[in-house]
Amino acid sequence: MALPALPVARGRNTGRPRAGMSAIERSRRRLYWPMLLPALLLMLLFYVVPILYAGWLSLHTWDGINELTWRGMDNYVQLAKDPIFIGSIANTLKILFVVGIITFVFAFALTMVLREMTGRKFVRSVLFFPTLINAMVFGIFAGFLFSPAGPVNKILALVGVQDPPKWLAQDNLFNLIMIVMIWSATGYFTTIIMSAVDQIPAYYYEAAGLDGAGPWTKFRHVTLPLAWDVISVCAVLWTMSSVKVFELILVFGGSTAQAPPTSTWATAVYVYQAAFGGGSREFGVSAAAAIVSLALVTVLTIGLRRMLRREAIEI
Amino acid sequence: MNQVLTQSPESAPAAPAQAPAQVPMRKPGRKTRPSVGGMVGRVIVWLLVAFNLFLVVWMVTTSLRDTRDIAREPLGLPLAPHWENFTTAWNTGGFGIAAINSVVATLVSSLLVVAIAAPAAYVLAKSTRRLSSTFTLLFVLGLGVPGQVLLVPIYVMLAKFQDLSHLKMINSIQGLIIVMVGLGIPFTVFLLAGFFRSLPVEIEEAAAIDGSSGIRTFVQIVLPLARSGLVTAFMLAVISGWNETLFSLVMLTTAENRTLPIALLAFLDQSQFNGADWGGLFAGIVLVVTPVLALFIWLGRRIVEGMTVGISK
Repeated sequence: MALPALPVARGRNTGRPRAGMSAIERSRRRLYWPMLLPALLLMLLFYVVPILYAGWLSLHTWDGINELTWRGMDNYVQLAKDPIFIGSIANTLKILFVVGIITFVFAFALTMVLREMTGRKFVRSVLFFPTLINAMVFGIFAGFLFSPAGPVNKILALVGVQDPPKWLAQDNLFNLIMIVMIWSATGYFTTIIMSAVDQIPAYYYEAAGLDGAGPWTKFRHVTLPLAWDVISVCAVLWTMSSVKVFELILVFGGSTAQAPPTSTWATAVYVYQAAFGGGSREFGVSAAAAIVSLALVTVLTIGLRRMLRREAIEI
Repeated sequence: MNQVLTQSPESAPAAPAQAPAQVPMRKPGRKTRPSVGGMVGRVIVWLLVAFNLFLVVWMVTTSLRDTRDIAREPLGLPLAPHWENFTTAWNTGGFGIAAINSVVATLVSSLLVVAIAAPAAYVLAKSTRRLSSTFTLLFVLGLGVPGQVLLVPIYVMLAKFQDLSHLKMINSIQGLIIVMVGLGIPFTVFLLAGFFRSLPVEIEEAAAIDGSSGIRTFVQIVLPLARSGLVTAFMLAVISGWNETLFSLVMLTTAENRTLPIALLAFLDQSQFNGADWGGLFAGIVLVVTPVLALFIWLGRRIVEGMTVGISK
């Protein structure tokens, strides 16, 4: 606003000699390290050091008890040849792209519908809520609802479907997992996109409407370009969360004391199973898989940002 | 006008408030299509809402039904409330001790993470040092690190620390609390830094002119001003702590140390051998879901904003 003098008085220039600093700036400097250090130390201890340690472990064979032995890149070679690991990477990519794209389409469709709807706040809250619940609960729900004698099949039988699909058969399991993910993620992304769309002034739509734009044209030429920044952030967020998917897969089917079928594993499940999933503890392999998933999330995030940025300029 | 009339049956109450949205629909050639599409859309949305609400109601009613009853008729209502599902789950199912552990771990870790992150977020938000942007970037990058990358290293580090210090870390709630605090730092710093940045600097300057020291300004002036941000950060830490599964699963191995998600997993495993106790299982699920549901009903707007608003920056 009309306060141009204040930022100057605050002393924006970092290279300024001490004497030129305001009192507030000086006391801020004195408190800088004491206030920052605890968080910074935790960051080092729980992020920086563990990542470096994982990189180092991934070059060794270790069961957590015996001596650590050097293995070079062999863990990575082993992973590259392991069909289960390749499958889990493929599943992670499926979650990222298939679930991601469908979720975004739904989120946009919902945003468009909700924009002109009564009770939108209520609807948004109800759809948002699954985001806050441990995904395990949905895994158990799905296992129960889709069990052979479960409610879904009973309802289908009422409608006349006598031979319902085997929902929980190995071949269908991952698809069902993806459907549950779409359902639980849609509300979250709808909320984010809606908050961006709400900031678009209504007269843009009016103007487009006067020019004869239909709903699709308005969406394509008003909503999409103006909400683009948020969409690209959402894409990055989704990339990060899709690599983390764990609980849902772990319990899916609702009744497995052992590991879930390997055809449903994603990278997080693979890392967990290699290190702690019964049998021998293979910390080296697990760490290598972890490093691969970190590399994956890094490459995908950077790639997506690049891709989406270019599009934004195009519009 | 015609358009408005065809729409009015389902959207009449909103019509005056949403007037601008209807202006574009005056175009004569296009009057039916958006209305049909919009109507179908609305029906689908309300079906979705109904489904979500149904899940909550179904979860609660099922938790009050007899297990054999549930197996026979999965969608029925309880004939008489079977509260014993909850007592079984609480006592023999191990959910009681797990609930206490979950509450302790979640509250303590959330308080600590906010207490540690708030000062750091404050200096990062207000400082003009060049170093600060490097640190800010470090915290932001931390947001993108998947938990599984840290799983084995943190586990091994904790085990080693336990050997050295003889403080119980593995299979102890205090160990889990430390991990949850450490892992929660990047998000909380990120969230609070955004919040502190939005606070007007004039108030602090006024305090400084009045002779308030830096730390006093922070504690007595900035923190109270930032209360809503701190509450939001705390709530979000509570929710993520309450749902934490990966590290808890690896670290907590015995029944007396389990948190609720792990107790739920253990209960599932048990039902492999003893036959599924659906009533008990749903009682356990209710224990996991209800606190979050209550928080959401109470402070939903804040939670939603905390999880979405900072993102667009």
